[in-house]
Amino acid sequence: MSIPTPSRVNLTRRGLFAAGAVVGGSALLSGCLGSGNTPATGGSNANVSLTLQSSLSDPKPKAALEQVVKGYTKYPTTLNTVAIEQFRAQLSTYLTSANPPDVLTWYAGSVARDYASKGLLLDLSDMWSGDGACAKFSPALKSLSSDSSGKQIFVPTNYYWWSVFYRKSAFAEWGVKAPTTWDEFMALCETLKGKGISPLTNGTGSTAWMASGWFDYLDLRINGAAFHRELLAGKHSFDSAEVRKVMDTYATLIPYFDPKGRSYTWQEAATPLVNKKAAMYLIGAFVTTAFPAADVDDVDFFSVPPINPSVPSAEEAPTDGYFASASTKNVGAVKDLLGYLASAKEQQAYIEASGSSNLPTSPDVNSSGFSPLVQKGMKLLQDTKEITQFFNRDSSDALQATADAALTKFLDHPGDVATILKDWQAAAQKVWGS
Amino acid sequence: MAVAVVVPTARRRRHGKGWVFHLVMSAITLLWVTPLVFVAIVALRSFDDISFHGLGSLPHSFTLDAFGTAWNEGNIAGALGNSLIVTAAVVILVLFLASLAAFALSRYPIPYGRAILLVMLAGNLLPPQILLIPVSQICEMLGIYDTLFALIVVQVGFGLGFFTFVLYGFMRSLPVEMFEAAKIDGAGDLRIYATIVMPLCRPALAALAALESTWVFNDLLWALTVLRTDTKFPITAALLNLQGGYTSQWNVVAAGSLIVAIPTAIVFFAFQKHFVSGLLVGVSK
Repeated sequence: MSIPTPSRVNLTRRGLFAAGAVVGGSALLSGCLGSGNTPATGGSNANVSLTLQSSLSDPKPKAALEQVVKGYTKYPTTLNTVAIEQFRAQLSTYLTSANPPDVLTWYAGSVARDYASKGLLLDLSDMWSGDGACAKFSPALKSLSSDSSGKQIFVPTNYYWWSVFYRKSAFAEWGVKAPTTWDEFMALCETLKGKGISPLTNGTGSTAWMASGWFDYLDLRINGAAFHRELLAGKHSFDSAEVRKVMDTYATLIPYFDPKGRSYTWQEAATPLVNKKAAMYLIGAFVTTAFPAADVDDVDFFSVPPINPSVPSAEEAPTDGYFASASTKNVGAVKDLLGYLASAKEQQAYIEASGSSNLPTSPDVNSSGFSPLVQKGMKLLQDTKEITQFFNRDSSDALQATADAALTKFLDHPGDVATILKDWQAAAQKVWGS
Repeated sequence: MAVAVVVPTARRRRHGKGWVFHLVMSAITLLWVTPLVFVAIVALRSFDDISFHGLGSLPHSFTLDAFGTAWNEGNIAGALGNSLIVTAAVVILVLFLASLAAFALSRYPIPYGRAILLVMLAGNLLPPQILLIPVSQICEMLGIYDTLFALIVVQVGFGLGFFTFVLYGFMRSLPVEMFEAAKIDGAGDLRIYATIVMPLCRPALAALAALESTWVFNDLLWALTVLRTDTKFPITAALLNLQGGYTSQWNVVAAGSLIVAIPTAIVFFAFQKHFVSGLLVGVSK
């Protein structure tokens, strides 16, 4: 199979090019703009082939997905990988184009729901019922994958967790241990600072969204997941007493951050953690990919300790997966491919090859081969009562931009919190209003 | 270009303040070269070294692995091929079409000739960013979206205005008598174009070819606008793909950038003379 595929792809490419040249040439000559689509459509109907547009450009996940797709032999499938920022910018172009990619990688939750509300996504409800590929996935994942009318439009295949990551050997060297209460956590920060170590690192330079990690968690710990969701949906004001309380707690952490972090990206901010100049990093499990290979086993984490005992436990677990274009011409083939990608075997193959500490969404994946860190992460998410994703995934990229502006300003001038929250609410209002 | 302007002045004052010039220029050169040296150093380090010591630290490792990774995993070879196809096609087409247009506009009384020229030039003054969505929609309508052909058409379209304008100026400066002599000898319009105008325009064409080839080769924006299949990406977009969504292997990105810079560097050194004259075409009329 591996030999015919490339030659077939080449043929298609050459064919498309030639068809394009003919169509474009004739259109240019005759000045006719209308009839350009016919040959291209005819070409793809004659032979069912699928396009999978992927944003996974990190080397290992990319290689892992290539391998998984190579294993899919039922329909010829072309995998396109496009760097994530470009993918993000062009996603709506992909989905609205006349001949869109059939299957696309992206995020579950409000982002997918947004596209579904415009009628751009394929209804995948039958995959979630009966003996469909996603039928056994957890109800939390099902609701995350549903649009506002209750149809499922998303196939989640993996997710990861956020927590406070640290190096076991570093904690042993300094004679400290992971805290379980908020007071212990604050005392630990003070102790570490006394030893000349930056207790916390964070990369809020060009990756300003990292500042939302602590905001999300403090809101989850102080006001709870229900409030957090409503806040991001526009049902509460950022300029409210509840958010003010979150910011006041955030302000007590600011002296413990590595001050250089404001100019770092998240990846650069991992360096102090790696070489033990900083102690702790609230970040997603993808942080392990920034570690030198030999030190990955030394990484451990603890959940942000509870602050308000009356709110249920909650963790952030951004969920990744696939959706399909509503105007795909091969609905059956698309669902077959999605079912393949969602199967326990392929989820496991992907996770093991991608090396990015992701968790499977299928309950049938045999997790015994996963690293202790990943198994601990799975347990964390199993035991928690509420799951959210992340600021942008629970709201929108537009609302994330308002958070970035407000929170980075807050990190630089924590004293101006009153005006910052007022401006934030005003900016958010515009996003919700539009 | 700054160098070209500074050198003559410096020569004149060589006896007096030569050392000031050298001192200032050495400092500026160092400043100019620093980012290149930084990229070269990063490309030669291992990923573990970078993640342990940080991106900005002195190297603690030496390896050429990043070049191999960039070449193999980044599909650099295929992307270079795409870039070369697009660049060659665009340069040839744009110079051919622009020289025809400029010849006609400069030598024949075409109704509204000046208006045509100004409209072509005005198109170049629009920031390309505002045309991204229309261009992608039009390619979609024509059915050429996601083909190298679309990229070539778009690049030719956008180059045409400027190149016609420059060649128009150059052809206007050719003496009228030559054309009259050719006509008396019985040469037709195409003959004049092929045997008189084109050879005389060679310096201008060479300069413009050098400029256009670096512009097209280095273009990222249009490639991203009309393409979506990664095997069709030119080199700039392939380089962008080396960067991960979460982790970026800076050594691989740096190595890829160095590999990608080689063709442009070759063009630059081969046509060095033409670059300066290309930027000055039409200035010394």
